[in-house]
Amino acid sequence: MSFAARILGRTPLGWLQLVHHPMRFAMALAGVSFAVILVFMQLGFMNMLFDTTVMFHKQLKADIVLVNPAARNLIDIRTFPRRRLIQALGVEGVADGEAFYIGQVNWVKPGTSDRGIILAFGVRGDFDVFHTPGVTALQPGLSVPGTALFDTGSRGDFRAFSKLIADGARPTTEVAGKTIQFDGIFRLGASFGSEGSIIVSDQTFFAISPKALPTTPNLGIIRVESGHDPEVVAQRIAAVVAGEDVKVMTMQQFITTSRNFLSRESPIAYIFSFGVMMGLVVGIIIVIQILSTDVQDHLPEYATFKAMGFTNRSLLSIVYEQSAILTVFGFVPGLIASLVCYELVRGAVSMPIAMPLDRVFLVFGMTAVMCFIAGTIALRRVSKADPAEVF
Amino acid sequence: MLAQASMPAIEIHGLSHWYGEGALKKQVLFDIDLSVARGEVVFLMGPSGCGKTTILTLLGALRSVQKGEVRVDGVELFGAGEKQVVACRRKIGFIFQNHNLHRSLTALENVRMGLEAQGKRLAVDADARCLAMLAIVGLADHAHKRQDKLSGGQRQRVAIARALIADPKIVLADEPTAALDSTTGYEVIALIRRLARERGMSVLMVTHDNRILSLADRIVEMEDGQLISAQTPASHIGRSPAPADNSLNTGEVTIS
Ligand SMILES: Nc1ncnc2c1ncn2[C@@H]1O[C@H](COP(=O)(O)OP(=O)(O)OP(=O)(O)O)[C@@H](O)[C@H]1O
Ligand SMILES: [Mg+2]
Repeated sequence: MSFAARILGRTPLGWLQLVHHPMRFAMALAGVSFAVILVFMQLGFMNMLFDTTVMFHKQLKADIVLVNPAARNLIDIRTFPRRRLIQALGVEGVADGEAFYIGQVNWVKPGTSDRGIILAFGVRGDFDVFHTPGVTALQPGLSVPGTALFDTGSRGDFRAFSKLIADGARPTTEVAGKTIQFDGIFRLGASFGSEGSIIVSDQTFFAISPKALPTTPNLGIIRVESGHDPEVVAQRIAAVVAGEDVKVMTMQQFITTSRNFLSRESPIAYIFSFGVMMGLVVGIIIVIQILSTDVQDHLPEYATFKAMGFTNRSLLSIVYEQSAILTVFGFVPGLIASLVCYELVRGAVSMPIAMPLDRVFLVFGMTAVMCFIAGTIALRRVSKADPAEVF
Repeated sequence: MLAQASMPAIEIHGLSHWYGEGALKKQVLFDIDLSVARGEVVFLMGPSGCGKTTILTLLGALRSVQKGEVRVDGVELFGAGEKQVVACRRKIGFIFQNHNLHRSLTALENVRMGLEAQGKRLAVDADARCLAMLAIVGLADHAHKRQDKLSGGQRQRVAIARALIADPKIVLADEPTAALDSTTGYEVIALIRRLARERGMSVLMVTHDNRILSLADRIVEMEDGQLISAQTPASHIGRSPAPADNSLNTGEVTIS
């Protein structure tokens, strides 16, 4: 008796029927894998979008932020009156705080004459606000006007330029018409909205972003004294600065709100979910097609089995066994192919695309449901197998 | 138990059957009475379309009984529920005109399906049992071949092994020799008869095959949905010279 038969206590008919038609089996697996890849890519892109949206947020050493209530994302962050920040600094439990400036500036890509747009972050040189490795040491140097740090994760080939900076050659390029000298590098990475970024002091920021004013920062960074709950302090600040011109959020709220804005209020999540659905529908259609053909092909055998005393249920389990086989054997190659695709995408767009374990389980679950539904539709024909017709 | 043993394996009383609905409704069986004793081998003969297969499908619980009594091993099939139907099918070994083997399975696996049909987990000795059964039908060396590697006669013998593996009390066979040449046909039926003797199985077999008539304990003839005669092979053998073995004819038959 085969190993499977011994374990199951029955002949693995579903499996035997599938492998008996290798071409059909291969097509079914290709269909499932294809659906799996589609779903993984959609989820990958969607989460890439969400992750890059809050990628910057996560770099900030902040407990509470002040921001314009109408802010949507980093590109469209708007401003709020600096006096709100000063008011907040007086609130009990607040340790320190600083104004933070964010803006898009055009620049000449180093070593070329191409113009591009890059995101500039401006903050006082002596205000240590970045978790980003290396920045804390480099930031004080930015107090020299006209100097900047360069994001080596920017989209494009900046390897030579980055190397020059790292070697201490202090290369320059034109940013918003001004010559800026690059004294150091950090790594943040591009997002859908920005090609890359630079960090400058607030003074340099005003120089390259003429419309920006010291009195209207884009973000207020607030840190609480140790032992204070950011949420409680945030409520106190809100009570003080209450108004239409500013919104107080803990860092956690800031991150969640930014993510949620995308996933709930922008059509992006719909678009990607639609992509996921399409992948699953394509998979279901292919699997139904294959399983129905298999059922149809074996109707005389099924009828014979019924005549022999097999219950309807035991025959249905043949189809579900096939669903399970297609799930597992279609998912695994799909997952492997998706990992390869993720790697390709990561290289191409300079954005983080990860394969967290929960997504692996989620997509496996979706694949299982997909094959189960397809099996359930395909097996309706099993009941058509009439044992009276076999004589 | 004694009552059980003396009770016929198959009992049919006043069985009528109709196909179709409304204006197309057509009666194909008329008030049939027939019983087959334990261990008896009965051939059912008659012209095409007279209703032989219909009787087998009713006996095998493959169709529901519309009118009359049909008792298989003591179980009444008129108005039987799903459970009884399945239980009844499991007591019967079916041998079809077409072997109906599963293409994806080897001879041994096909035979094993006969055990699985009983609805229990396969025992560890299942394969040994199936091999022994295949040896009985002379296929010990072909156990691991699929049907496309077997001849017609070999396939039919696999089907017989499958029908007999679970020790059925009753064997229903519909023209099992139709696809076989005359020598193989005779051998296969002789085999069924021998097994019926050894195991006390009752066999009801539809056949048109005159060469095997000597193997029957009793021959029942039908015409137009009615039984017309019951006879021992001897009386039939006016047309067929093969000698009959009636030593085990325990038929207590009533034909009306
Ligand atoms: N499913 C069905 N629906 C309608 N009529 C049927 C059906 N099956 C059989 N019949 C009719 O019932 C009658 C008896 O058929 P049955 O198959 O029992 O005959 P048979 O004696 O087995 O014939 P054969 O020797 O050709 O196999 C025939 O007239 C046949 O046309
Ligand atoms: Mg017939």
